Amino acid sequence: MATAVATNQTILVVGGGVSGMTAALEAAECGKEVVLVESSATLGGRTASLYRYFPKLCHPVCGLEINLRRLRGNRSVRVLTLAEVTAVSGTRGDFTVTVKRSPRYVNRNCTACGACAQAVSAEIPNPWNYGLDRLKAAYLPHAMAYPQRYVLDPSIIGTPDAEKARAACKYDAIDLGMQAETLELKVGAIVWATGWRPYDAAKIQPYGYGRFPNVITSVEFERLADPHGPSGGKILRPSDGKLAKNVAFVQCAGSRDENHLRHCSRICCMASLKQTQYVREAFGEGAQSTVYYIDIRAIDRFEDFYARVQRDPTVKFVKSKVARIAEDQATRDPILHGVDTEGYRRYASRHDLVVLAIGMEPSVRGADIPAEVVADSSGFIDAAADGAAVFGAGCATNALDVNRSVQNATAAALRAIQVVNRAARAES
Amino acid sequence: MPTALNEQALARYRNDFLREVEERVDEGGWVKMCMQCGVCAGSCPFGPHWEHSPQKIFMMIRAGKREEVLASDSMWMCTSCYNCVVRCPRKLPITTIMHGLATYAHRLGLAPKRQPTRDFSVIFWENFTRNGRANEIRLMLRLWFRDGFGAGIRKALAMKEVGLGMLRAKRMSPFEIFGGHGVKDVKGFQAMIRKAQEIEDRKRGFSK
Amino acid sequence: MAEMKTAAYVCQGCGLGERLSTQQLAQVAQKEGKMALVREHPFLCSAAGVQAIRDDIEKDGVTHIAIAACSRRAKTEAFHFPAVAMSRANLREGVIWSQPDTEAARETTQEMADDYVRMACAEVKKMKAPAGNPEAARNTRLLVVGGGISGMTAALEASKAGYPVTLVEKTAALGGWAAKLWKRTPAREPFQAPAETGVAAMIEAVRADPNIEVRLSSTIARTSGAPGRFSVAIATESGGAATEDFGAIVQASGFSLYDASKLPELGFGKSPNVVDQAGLERLAREAAAGNAPIRRPSDDGEVKTVVFVQCAGQRDATGEHLPYCSGHCCATSIKQAMYFKDANPAVDTVVLYTDLRVPGNGEDFYRSGQSKGVVFTKGAVSAVEPAGNACSVRFRDLILDEDATIENADLVVLATGQVPNSGVDIEKVAQNEPGEWQPDANSVLNLVYRQGKDLPLLRHGFSDSHFICFPYETRRTGIYAAGPVRRPMDIAQAVEDATGAALKAIQAAENAALGRAAHPRSGDLSFPIVRLDGCTQCKRCTVECPFGAIDEDEKRYPVFNESRCRRCGTCMGACPVRVISFENYSVDTVGAQLKAVDVPDEFSEKPRILVLACENDAYPALDMAGMARRTYSAFVRIIPVRCLGSVNTIWVSDALNSGYDGVMLMGCKHGDDYQCHFVKGSELANYRMSKIDDTLKQMALETERVATYEVAITDIERAPRLIDEYAAKIAEIGMSPLKGFA
Repeated sequence: MATAVATNQTILVVGGGVSGMTAALEAAECGKEVVLVESSATLGGRTASLYRYFPKLCHPVCGLEINLRRLRGNRSVRVLTLAEVTAVSGTRGDFTVTVKRSPRYVNRNCTACGACAQAVSAEIPNPWNYGLDRLKAAYLPHAMAYPQRYVLDPSIIGTPDAEKARAACKYDAIDLGMQAETLELKVGAIVWATGWRPYDAAKIQPYGYGRFPNVITSVEFERLADPHGPSGGKILRPSDGKLAKNVAFVQCAGSRDENHLRHCSRICCMASLKQTQYVREAFGEGAQSTVYYIDIRAIDRFEDFYARVQRDPTVKFVKSKVARIAEDQATRDPILHGVDTEGYRRYASRHDLVVLAIGMEPSVRGADIPAEVVADSSGFIDAAADGAAVFGAGCATNALDVNRSVQNATAAALRAIQVVNRAARAES
Repeated sequence: MPTALNEQALARYRNDFLREVEERVDEGGWVKMCMQCGVCAGSCPFGPHWEHSPQKIFMMIRAGKREEVLASDSMWMCTSCYNCVVRCPRKLPITTIMHGLATYAHRLGLAPKRQPTRDFSVIFWENFTRNGRANEIRLMLRLWFRDGFGAGIRKALAMKEVGLGMLRAKRMSPFEIFGGHGVKDVKGFQAMIRKAQEIEDRKRGFSK
Repeated sequence: MAEMKTAAYVCQGCGLGERLSTQQLAQVAQKEGKMALVREHPFLCSAAGVQAIRDDIEKDGVTHIAIAACSRRAKTEAFHFPAVAMSRANLREGVIWSQPDTEAARETTQEMADDYVRMACAEVKKMKAPAGNPEAARNTRLLVVGGGISGMTAALEASKAGYPVTLVEKTAALGGWAAKLWKRTPAREPFQAPAETGVAAMIEAVRADPNIEVRLSSTIARTSGAPGRFSVAIATESGGAATEDFGAIVQASGFSLYDASKLPELGFGKSPNVVDQAGLERLAREAAAGNAPIRRPSDDGEVKTVVFVQCAGQRDATGEHLPYCSGHCCATSIKQAMYFKDANPAVDTVVLYTDLRVPGNGEDFYRSGQSKGVVFTKGAVSAVEPAGNACSVRFRDLILDEDATIENADLVVLATGQVPNSGVDIEKVAQNEPGEWQPDANSVLNLVYRQGKDLPLLRHGFSDSHFICFPYETRRTGIYAAGPVRRPMDIAQAVEDATGAALKAIQAAENAALGRAAHPRSGDLSFPIVRLDGCTQCKRCTVECPFGAIDEDEKRYPVFNESRCRRCGTCMGACPVRVISFENYSVDTVGAQLKAVDVPDEFSEKPRILVLACENDAYPALDMAGMARRTYSAFVRIIPVRCLGSVNTIWVSDALNSGYDGVMLMGCKHGDDYQCHFVKGSELANYRMSKIDDTLKQMALETERVATYEVAITDIERAPRLIDEYAAKIAEIGMSPLKGFA
């Protein structure tokens, strides 16, 4: 078992999304030593796969660029990617943490020149684009990936493709003998920021996700609208690649529903309002968005954005939880069935594309965290429960938007600093 | 002095009818849990044929619209397909509530007259409680002839093939028309039904 | 500083060796770039390559290095030499990956690379490794303004981390709004019932903390200085004032409730039975004190029906009331309805709402309210009409689609919104002239800053950050707003917010002590240096600084406060006499680069276009375009700038005088939804460039020769297209007539 240099003055941050990066950077910029552990091959997390943020419609990767520059300039943060925390023992101020690292098969020599990807022929579904397209099995996760280093997909290890990749690399950067390893770290405080994942839309049976190609989720729609995405930013519907100008947004897909997620996922109303503007941006007056909702939860100054979208003649609102989605088998158009509850009007509305405003659930439910935590009925953990081993940050603690995740992660950084400072004072 | 009608208006939003439903209608306590999403309305196969969707009925109950709700024929249309129940995000037992409201309206004598489901239910109940078994021939005859002799003949002729088929397959005996057979202890059965009704009445506040 | 020793390193890896003559690049570095030491390396970022550079620095005393390899955004771990000045020539993403790999393109591709090497050499010679801020001061005591939940939380959390705090509260007691509540909405499982506020315990903890000094009945009379050295006069009600020093400030000045008397149509003021949410809390506390149910205020009668009117004076489209939603009020009304339901289920409580907004686990609280019998009706209220001891509430029932009335309400509770206590609006209240400064009774901080006494407001009067990914981006370094003064929020959010703000304040104080910049150029040791003898006291720098970092002395000379500065260079861009510079970024570092470019004569058919690109958005977009092998014109020469706000018009006129055929500025979106992380940089650049037309006319040049674009980091397809379109435009209007005169 390998050991890494860390002490009870070190802060461990688990999760390299916007919350984890924030907690790590904020603590490091206070002069603390931080180890940042991320399970995927790159930092950035889920926000890096969003096209724009509400309500400003600015680009998440812009903030990511700043955070990555902060990270590159700060030697106090050590980043471990493809790494997962498997065990935590000890107490606040004195933890021993076991971290399992999966092999990347690419070492630091990698210059991200891309020769290995050209050499390899196998392709895998692109996780970055939620499998909407495919990419070579030797790949850079995305253009903003950090570390900026290629990854070999484990599926090609032992195949001729792996050899081809190794042979193509002039810099000796591909190491096919790389093995999984286990590290043991001694740390003083832990911030748990493992974020969220979209609820499995296929479980919402009446909506036909997985059966009807033109029913997609909101996170997939982000990729469609993004110039870095599978369609180069064109809003094309999956069944036939036609432009999707008439788009339905189905709110509470999984959220506020005792059959699925009990909680309200908070962000989906604003996310759909934002996405109506993607349609508008793509097709101008020819766009048609319809938002099917129960309550529009546009809190505080987000109300301005809601008011702005309400003034947009290409956007309609129907107060209704959609009952079911059918498909016209000839055209593959989805048809939404339900009742507008304001005044009671039935509808059977045909759209080019349906976007399910999918709910958020914690990536790692409280019960599955290898440390003592206090979790609620949805599996979100308490950010600062009395006596719990770890501090929660971001969407591991609640369904939060980016702004509140960052706010919360900043608070978590201070809580962690309190612990290591106390440990430092005790030792001096 | 306010008239009775005015009192009714004043009682609106005093939640009196909501309380009445909670106390006297099967599963009525769930009515308050509805969040007006409308998924039940959209899920009902009979949706296009009725006036008030379940969600709207729940809202009318909260708004104190007692007469309108109890006189509505919408809850009589429920076929117990349970689409609404499996989709309801609040897990309301909507089917049960619909039947509960229908029963309650019927008990109060406020249910719509000549409502086919109601008529069938009444006929079926009388038919079945008599001997403890359903008597198909008598049941059908009463149902068909409820709209008069001519209509009864027309319906009987329309259903002729089905009836003859059942006779041939020995699924029905023509002699049942004379009263038919019952369960072993008809008296005991009827006592049981009476007792159950008493308990139900007491629970719903109908006991004398 | 020791003598300058320069070195240039040319990498041959990643195809550079195949696509370019690196030998020629090395010659350019040596002969034209005048670099003392020039090395080619087959794989410069390898351990061996990096070691070679390190050896040159450590053994040969190299002080200035130019690295001709990949983008400055790549291989930053390898090329990390903090002790020396370093420039990067972007030959990979910026040349071979963005130019077609064809024989026809070979010549122009090499010319591009040659120029980037010339530019990197010229740049580094004008740079110095930053030595740090000589004014750095260490004071880590925090000032917290406001003694409500937010302020007390900030104080307690900072103290727990070992930082001393002074907590100033203008009233005679701690607790703020939360102390006026009977109960709060629950923040933890099972989210079903009103919870204790915990305020008394918090006050007790503050009182008992030896690290926290509490000043009641006190206000801030004057704040000057900068992070690490704030000097603050704290005035007491009795008229005394004492000046103390602080490292950083948390402003938790809270909110006021929107004045319900502005809502006569909702009956407020017409009957004591119409109250706002604070009024209901008061009734609930009084009732609890007497161990009795809440009574009807008009006659002490029994309360049988309570109606809650949501969004009272909020989400208002008419412009008369608050346009925003205060977020907490739906849950607060549910909580208040439970006050009645928990005491007596027979009381009718109706919440009239248009959208019920209880996100997250608030949904559980909503369900709990329903199960306790609180009735929720989607309705838009038009009027509350008191008559005697009862009120009629008229509304449109949106579900039943009809007008309806609740005739017999004993109590009507109006859910009015939060109005921030953010002090004076510095856009509207001009600052006093230096030397004549007076405190303003309406100000929270009374800053003696040239740009005004309080934090700049964002929207609707809140002192919020504009940035989604950086909620604590403050426009006054070292001062962090927390709680409802920043945006409307409930107690749970205020606690998180105040804890975060406390961290940022601690961080600001710590970094000020080390001379490091705050976000977004965190850790930057450079700072603006001004040559005062050349200054004409024009005040542009003091006016245009997006962070209000520059004051004026009585003679109107600028006074730079380094630890307030965010190193964007807007002052440098503003200065008409060019006396402001940074050690590693100056009028000269960019000027030298653009002058180093080899501009072919007008018969060459090879125009030159200078692109000044924001280093955070436009430059990465062009980098990623290269990574995606999207090609663009070989005639552009791209220089990253800290912010378009730092672009001094001299660069533009120098470029045109040197024979460039066009200048493109690529910056972030400006306007209401600005995306510039230095707030006003791109807007200022746009403004300055709009004034350049006259200059162009004087030079007898077409106005198209200077163009400004908003470019986002995602514009990997659009940014190259803009370049190509602009190159086509230049080809159309022809080569610059000024070539060869420089």
